Amino acid sequence: MKTLILVVEDDAQIRRFLRATLAAEGYSFQEALTAEEGIAQAAARQPDLILLDLGLPDRDGLEVIRRVREWSQTPIVVLSARGQEKDKIAALDLGADDYIAKPFGVGELLARIRAALRRSAALVQDGPGTVFRFGRVEVDLDKRVVRAGGQEVHLTPNEYKLLGVLIKHAGKVLTQRQLLSEVWGPNQTEQAQYLRVYVAQLRRKLESDPARPKHLQTEPGVGYRLVVEV
Amino acid sequence: MREFAAAAAIVAISTLVSLVLRPYLVPTNLAMVYLLGVVAVATRCSRRVSVAASFLGVAAFDFFCVPPYLTFRVNDYEYLITFAGMLVVALVISTQTARIRKQAANAADREARTGTLYRLSRSLAGQTRVFDVARTAAECAEEVFRTPVVIFLPDDGKITFRRRTADQLPVPTTEETIAQWVFDHGRKAGKGMESLPEATALYLPLRGARKTVGVMGVLPGADARIFVPEQLQLLDVFANQTALAIERTLSQHAAEETRVQMQTEQMRSSLLSAVSHDLRTPLASITGAASTLRSQNERLPPETRHELLDSISEEAERLSRLVGNLLEMTRFEAGGVELRRDFYPLEEIIGSALQRVEPKLKGRQVTTHLPDSLPLVHVDDVLLGQVIVNLLENAVKYSPAETPIEVAAEAGEGAVVLEVRDRGPGFAPGEEQRVFEKFYRGRPDGASGAGLGLAICRAMVEAHQGTIEALNRPGGGAVVRTRLPVGNAP
Repeated sequence: MKTLILVVEDDAQIRRFLRATLAAEGYSFQEALTAEEGIAQAAARQPDLILLDLGLPDRDGLEVIRRVREWSQTPIVVLSARGQEKDKIAALDLGADDYIAKPFGVGELLARIRAALRRSAALVQDGPGTVFRFGRVEVDLDKRVVRAGGQEVHLTPNEYKLLGVLIKHAGKVLTQRQLLSEVWGPNQTEQAQYLRVYVAQLRRKLESDPARPKHLQTEPGVGYRLVVEV
Repeated sequence: MREFAAAAAIVAISTLVSLVLRPYLVPTNLAMVYLLGVVAVATRCSRRVSVAASFLGVAAFDFFCVPPYLTFRVNDYEYLITFAGMLVVALVISTQTARIRKQAANAADREARTGTLYRLSRSLAGQTRVFDVARTAAECAEEVFRTPVVIFLPDDGKITFRRRTADQLPVPTTEETIAQWVFDHGRKAGKGMESLPEATALYLPLRGARKTVGVMGVLPGADARIFVPEQLQLLDVFANQTALAIERTLSQHAAEETRVQMQTEQMRSSLLSAVSHDLRTPLASITGAASTLRSQNERLPPETRHELLDSISEEAERLSRLVGNLLEMTRFEAGGVELRRDFYPLEEIIGSALQRVEPKLKGRQVTTHLPDSLPLVHVDDVLLGQVIVNLLENAVKYSPAETPIEVAAEAGEGAVVLEVRDRGPGFAPGEEQRVFEKFYRGRPDGASGAGLGLAICRAMVEAHQGTIEALNRPGGGAVVRTRLPVGNAP
């Protein structure tokens, strides 16, 4: 059975181009022009992934995320305008998996779709294996041992916890609020500069060039993402 | 009544002194003692009392000092002249002293009034907002008249009690219509006036030179000294001054608005003319390439088709960048950008900027010099990231492919200095600071871009209270140096 993608987008030209691209990649395509229709289709067709535009004519796109997340973990990739960091954060905090800023190229879009689908498939099977690898870094989740380039690296408990959360959501953008709340607890969501300092330390310990990180990437104004394949 | 008693006491004292002196002096000289008494009364008491003291003094003089004593009878009739002289002198003293005192009191009053008005106009002069003018005037009036004062300003020609200077409304809301009437007719009304005297408060129009600009409501205190003519007059002057100050502020606002509007218009037209060319060029190539592909698709060799497709996507990207820059600039100039500042490691912002320009670097070498000891910077990460991206894109665009690009930062005093350097031709000498102007192009020969990149950088850096400057490097090349305040990290 083909993978079904639901596109919730009101602009006809964008739908036309998405339809062509997704068909060429072998995905089935279902479209909705309004938020209401999007919510209805998501329930009726049970798509494998939802591509959601935030600027819809009838309701705020964020409403679609909120409603769909009440009963479904289907990955949602948000299409947003550049510079709308507030919207991106709101979408991610509500449970969207990723976002892509308009205008975007096909290559980037397909990469995001594949990554989101892979993550949701991995979630269904089981969590990450006992040894998690990215680049030259190896994390043994059972023994809590981290190696970079074969050398054991000493992480503080908070650094390890932060790395663990990033690994759990590998490939997904995590907002500062989500990270703070998972690592330090739900009441610590305002202390973003601690988070940044810890990320900087992790980079110094794990990245080969901390000023140009390949894996622990910043999403400016939004949060962080652990990129596994470069 | 107390004044009369005091006067009587003074006359009694004069009598006592006279009785003591009587054996040694002739009576005409004792009259002088009484005159002194009258002077003493006149300097303190009202004219009526000192006149009474004059008569009382003459009577007492006659009774006690002119033989035969203790009767009003007079043996020697030449004393009648003494009495007449004494009375006339005493009356003249009383009247004159009273007049002088009244003049002095008037002068003091005038001085106080001038002082008050001077204070009012001085405090009004410092205000630039209409509402502040009104509030200052109301505070000043409360101080001078010792009674609650509130000023109402109109909203679209209607007096509403919502636009008022006092937090608590000292007048009943039912009197809004009275205030409106005063505003419409430009005449006083309310308590103590001919119109609507049953109101709780007195309402004065704030009449400027051209129109009424508001209404002043005065709630008379218990002593109601406000209804004395001088006080009412002063209140009028107060209202006039306030009205003129409000009017002046209003017209300043109008002038400022016109100026800004003109400037905006001018900017908009220069922006349009500069931008229309930059917008049309990529649109023309996109339209051309697309229509060629559609009408001649089969007849075109595959490599030509690819070229046309490349040009469509490149030009679209150029267009997108241009529109993005324009929007950013416009947003900044409209004042619609709110900085979301927080403390960030500069390294992180540079890292994500480098990641964003990676595709445009096309393998160019970029080296970073970032000491581990850099303090956190207090910035909006998205905006500063944009600044660094723009600087890197410029470096890529204006320097030869084989030359290196450097990004360096170091901690200075209270600031972090960030530099983006290249080994290109550098800036034209003398033009270094012009590069931050809008629509200034480093190379007029058509390197792409509308000349907005550095202008945006400057706007963004200055929004952070930072500075940005362009310099030529020793040994050739360009440096753009940005100084960012560090702020106090928690």
